[in-house]
Amino acid sequence: MSIKRLLSKTETISLCIGFFVILVVLPFLNAFFPENHPLHVSAFTLTLLSKYLCYAVLALSVDLLWGYTGLLSLGQCLFFSLGGYALGMYLMLKIGPRGQYHTNLPDFMVFLEFPKRFPETGGLPPHWIPFQHFWFAAAAVVWVPALVALIFGFLAFRSRIKGVYFSILTQALTYAACLMFFRNDFTFGGNNGLTDFKEILGCELNAPSTRRALFIATGLLLLGSYLLCRWLTITRFGKIQRAIRDSENRVLFSGYATANFKLFVFVLAAVIASLGGALFVPQVGIINPSEMGTDKSLEAVVWVAVGGRGTLIGPILGAIGVNWLKSYATHSMPEYWNYILGGLFIVMTVFFPKGIVGIPGQVRALHQRWAATHETEPAIETGMVAPVIVANPEEKP
Amino acid sequence: MMITDGFGFLKRLTAVFGRQFCLWLAMSCMVPNAQGAEPRALLVEAMTTNDLSAQIALIQKLTDSPDPLIAQALAAWRQGGVYLYDAGDNLKVPFLLDANADASGKSRGIQIATGESIKDAAGQPLLFLPSDLTAVDTTSKLRKAIKTTLDVLALSSPNSNFRRDAASKLGQAQNAEYLPHFEARLASEKIPDVRKALEEAIAITQLASDKPEVRLAAVKKLGELRSIPALDLIIKLEAAAKADEKAYPSGMAAAAAGARKIIEQHIAFGTFIGTCFRGLSLSAVLLVAAIGLAITFGLMGIINMAHGEMIMIGAYSAYIAQNIFVKWFGEGTSGFNWYFVAALPLSFITAGLVGVLLERGIIRFLYKRPLESLLATWGVSLVLQQAMRAIFGAANVQVYSPSWLSGNITYADVTFAYNRIFVIGFAVAIVVFTWLLLTKTSLGLQVRALMQNRQMAACMGVRTDRVNMATFAFGSGLAGMAGACLSQIGNIGPSLGQSHIVDCFMVVVLGGVGNLFGTVSAALGIGVTDQVLQPHFGAVLGKIIVLSAIILFLQWRPAGLFATRGRGLEG
Amino acid sequence: MKKYLITLAVCATTLAGSLIGRAEDTVKVGILHSLSGTMAISETSLKDVLLFTFDEINAKGGVLGKKIEPVIVDPASNWPLFAEKAEQLLVKDKVAVVFGCWTSVSRKSVLPVFEKYNGMLFYPVQYEGEELSKNIFYTAEAVNQQAIPAVDYMLADGKKKFYLLGSDYVYPRTTNKILKKYLKSKGIPDADIVEIYTPFGHTDYQTIVSEIKKFSAGGSACVISTLNGDTNVPFFKEFANAGLTSENCPVVSFSLSEDEFRSLPTKDLVGHLGCWTYFMSLDTAENKVFVADFKKWLVTAPSGVEKKNRVTCSPMNLSRTGVYLWKQAVEKAGSFDVDKVREALYGQKFKAPEGEVTMQENHHLINPVFIGETQANGQFKIIKSLGPVAGEPFSDKFLGKD
Repeated sequence: MSIKRLLSKTETISLCIGFFVILVVLPFLNAFFPENHPLHVSAFTLTLLSKYLCYAVLALSVDLLWGYTGLLSLGQCLFFSLGGYALGMYLMLKIGPRGQYHTNLPDFMVFLEFPKRFPETGGLPPHWIPFQHFWFAAAAVVWVPALVALIFGFLAFRSRIKGVYFSILTQALTYAACLMFFRNDFTFGGNNGLTDFKEILGCELNAPSTRRALFIATGLLLLGSYLLCRWLTITRFGKIQRAIRDSENRVLFSGYATANFKLFVFVLAAVIASLGGALFVPQVGIINPSEMGTDKSLEAVVWVAVGGRGTLIGPILGAIGVNWLKSYATHSMPEYWNYILGGLFIVMTVFFPKGIVGIPGQVRALHQRWAATHETEPAIETGMVAPVIVANPEEKP
Repeated sequence: MMITDGFGFLKRLTAVFGRQFCLWLAMSCMVPNAQGAEPRALLVEAMTTNDLSAQIALIQKLTDSPDPLIAQALAAWRQGGVYLYDAGDNLKVPFLLDANADASGKSRGIQIATGESIKDAAGQPLLFLPSDLTAVDTTSKLRKAIKTTLDVLALSSPNSNFRRDAASKLGQAQNAEYLPHFEARLASEKIPDVRKALEEAIAITQLASDKPEVRLAAVKKLGELRSIPALDLIIKLEAAAKADEKAYPSGMAAAAAGARKIIEQHIAFGTFIGTCFRGLSLSAVLLVAAIGLAITFGLMGIINMAHGEMIMIGAYSAYIAQNIFVKWFGEGTSGFNWYFVAALPLSFITAGLVGVLLERGIIRFLYKRPLESLLATWGVSLVLQQAMRAIFGAANVQVYSPSWLSGNITYADVTFAYNRIFVIGFAVAIVVFTWLLLTKTSLGLQVRALMQNRQMAACMGVRTDRVNMATFAFGSGLAGMAGACLSQIGNIGPSLGQSHIVDCFMVVVLGGVGNLFGTVSAALGIGVTDQVLQPHFGAVLGKIIVLSAIILFLQWRPAGLFATRGRGLEG
Repeated sequence: MKKYLITLAVCATTLAGSLIGRAEDTVKVGILHSLSGTMAISETSLKDVLLFTFDEINAKGGVLGKKIEPVIVDPASNWPLFAEKAEQLLVKDKVAVVFGCWTSVSRKSVLPVFEKYNGMLFYPVQYEGEELSKNIFYTAEAVNQQAIPAVDYMLADGKKKFYLLGSDYVYPRTTNKILKKYLKSKGIPDADIVEIYTPFGHTDYQTIVSEIKKFSAGGSACVISTLNGDTNVPFFKEFANAGLTSENCPVVSFSLSEDEFRSLPTKDLVGHLGCWTYFMSLDTAENKVFVADFKKWLVTAPSGVEKKNRVTCSPMNLSRTGVYLWKQAVEKAGSFDVDKVREALYGQKFKAPEGEVTMQENHHLINPVFIGETQANGQFKIIKSLGPVAGEPFSDKFLGKD
């Protein structure tokens, strides 16, 4: 327990510093320094960072499932996108007559002839109508993914689908949803998705102040999700959660309804991911079905693996680090990006199963071993890092 | 000789002996009712006049000419390949270019009137470059007239497919003028396919006849023939006959309805057979693609996301095999046709070797962490994709099917493509082979032992390292062969694997992990369901429905169709 | 400590090196084409032809005396990344103009960015129209420069039944919607028009081909295909194996150009039709120079450029045309300023390989249109030249309101 406290202290300090920079320093530098000043942080950088932070929220939700409950979801981007679509619909309706056709109807509805399909509403599909109100869209960001997760999770956990099966089913789910949203008949813009947003809550999306506000909101969301997850882990609930991860049957036989616990975590993770997606869309400016693709969800899992699963700071570091690397590599050495991402994946899972966060511990363990062998058999020089040596205590049943 | 290569033979003869020989040929063998004016002269006249209706009339007169140069010149004219040579004195000589061009792209000009090449004053053949010439222009009406004449000529083409197509096309025109041609041809035709097309053409043409009894007979005949092309016409006729009974002979409406019913039943039957075959063929594709995964994932428990890339490697191996054969034998030769036979083992070996490398380099560290094998192998798949892009380019590569895999057989108006039949046979063979290997060999025994209890098997002296390596290599090799097989029906490109991976996992999971029989059943189930749904819901929605059905089905039976039962709680 | 000093020294020299590099008077131009991911297949060629064009222009002294310095980024077929990269090009690299995008969704993704920073984008790929941004110049074929002429040709050829087959995304949907309306206005009944869509990466065309076979059994049918690149191989293989040919049921494809033929079994495609504003086989002096120079350039091309079996095609040609139009406009305006260049672009004429093209005030080109027949060697044989057609993005304008 004392170790935990100690960790919390460094954690608190780094958290304070990190979020002070995000919530205060960067927006300040952006707002109060002129554009050519060396300390000026451009709106571009701010938006880019904001995108990383949204991804960090997504990574946290993956980690909550995978790192803490042992449920590897390969469909987390579905919830991320659902949140994005929910808010995107609101943003779409707020474009008003500023679109290509200068009507109040979103462009794609005009050229796909929705007025003929839905004559009674003037072309707007009935389920789009309430999204004219921000409060409804905001609520939908929460309840739509929660509902999807609840139904899917209820069915899956009730029939005790776990491990690989769960992963592959979540992948199938997001793949099916992706195909569904690709259909133009599905009334969500098909392949082009929702784009060309103009304003949110009456503020111009392009205005620097809006960008700043969105950035701060994203920072707050990340902080909130972090604290929520941290709080969960230190409660009794968190303990059961980890117990399920380590040996579900023992928990089950101890009299806990593990399915309900898992269902709760699954729904919670879906909502967190969805919130991240909702803030992602106005800043990036587009949401389309390829965000639900199976590769996107896998990529989110990589961030967590790289950062270190089963910790809370790991996924955040992983998401920001990998995406920064991606931004850099796709600009400076476009041909090698896939090698880097793929290689990173292989190296991290094989050699550093605990991710970046786990590296210091691994080095320490290695050093101790090396010292031990050095004492008994000083003749052997063992600098080689054999992956078998790096045993992962958590993996043992 | 006349049948196999008559056209080319005649062409060559024409070029050598010229017009005299042809005329002799024309008069001596085929046409009893040779027309007064000489066909070539008519054609030359048509090419040099400017009056459209006169041109069309002239061209229509050519339908009886057996002269191959006429057909050749007409075809060339239609595609803008006939040019005028100014021979002085206002004399324009139409000609076409010899197919054999020299290195600079120039070729001799063949006079349509004589079939001889155009020569200069010194008697040397003149050479022309197509881009320096202006073609004799055509309009769409003229082209249509040319086409019709060509079709009539094609009725006596040595190629039976051409004859059949020509008959079907001319029949649709419902032009009574063609009837004598059809009947003349029918009298000497022996190939049943073409006979049917000719009978159909006659009946369809007779549908437009003004004699009621002829029409009635034609309707009945079409019903007997189960003629699908005539269905639209019969439906129209039935509607008209019902609406205005006086204008039609009694029994017309009933006859039309009867014929329609027969044809519709025939179509329904064909659709049923077709759907079964297509379902079977899609199942075979799924099975072939998934069987490697059934080994690596099903038996070994490795969540092999690089499985798709193994398929891709196999497909690229087939591409390499093709290129080697092209180099050795040349394209389109009979030797080239056998490249695919070499491609199968080559793809098995290549993908198997990559599998060995993968297993030794990465996967063996992850046997205790199956979920993480998913991540590492996904990394591998990214690297492999980019590597293929670097080696073969981002674009897809072309693989030509060998001639014995192109084409189809048609039964009851349903086409069975050879490549599809091959894939079905291949799937059966590969399943039997895998089953034998797993149940009748000692390697198979060890694999199954390892699958059931890794530690215990190791204790009993099974060399787990080797067995793992061999099994993974075998699974990868199967995936590679699948790639070679799929190269015959689809793309070969860096993202080939991505389009199969989700389907493969679905098949294995639905079938029940570790059960070969389950994999087969799942592939059959998914394939047939997909093909049954597709005509009703379209390709996209059909696929979504299948996916949702799988998800729901697995809620009911979480371990798949055929779960491997064990006593362990975990696993 | 020594190590740090060395690193520092290395850094300093690189920095100095890059500064010296900058000292030459250049103008930065962005290339925004996916070099990885699914779209890399098509877009890599456009990057290549852009680099070629820049070299061509630089060899003749550049633009306004400045050499063009390309900034290449890889949006990796990822639509949000397109927006990010576009912003990066405009804000960080401060490029004068961007050439890029292939899919409609990528263009939609970057459009707000270009409007926000008042950038300029040249878009070279045939598309569905229904869009007009003052910051984008569409050198691409609009629907009335490709689909309508092709259908006119089929109608004149006596076709009466139309099977509209496409991948399920906006370009095919919109094109087919317009075509349906157009066909109806030409008296083709509803029953003789079929509209079918398949997902991206669809591999199983058995059902569709068997339906086409039934559909075309009565003759005089054709297929109008807007399938995107990848899915054409399984489609045409199935099509040929079912015994269908260009004789009994021709297919007009709008997404297949010479560049795609490099990866298609062209033997299965012989006789099927294409409709573009440019074919590699065009017989003009400008085109011969273009093709020959491009092939010459490939020999010495930088690494990463595929050198074997290269061809030119309409999107490549239109990319190049875009660069030249921009160059002429910059020279006319005497400035790289986006607003001035835009004004100068209107009415700008260029002697392109396919003939003279003119940039209209609706940001689309007046461009000659050709119909070609596929040949076994992966080239088109031009069977009809339709003369210049003025591109019009909005279908209302050429079809009329319903």
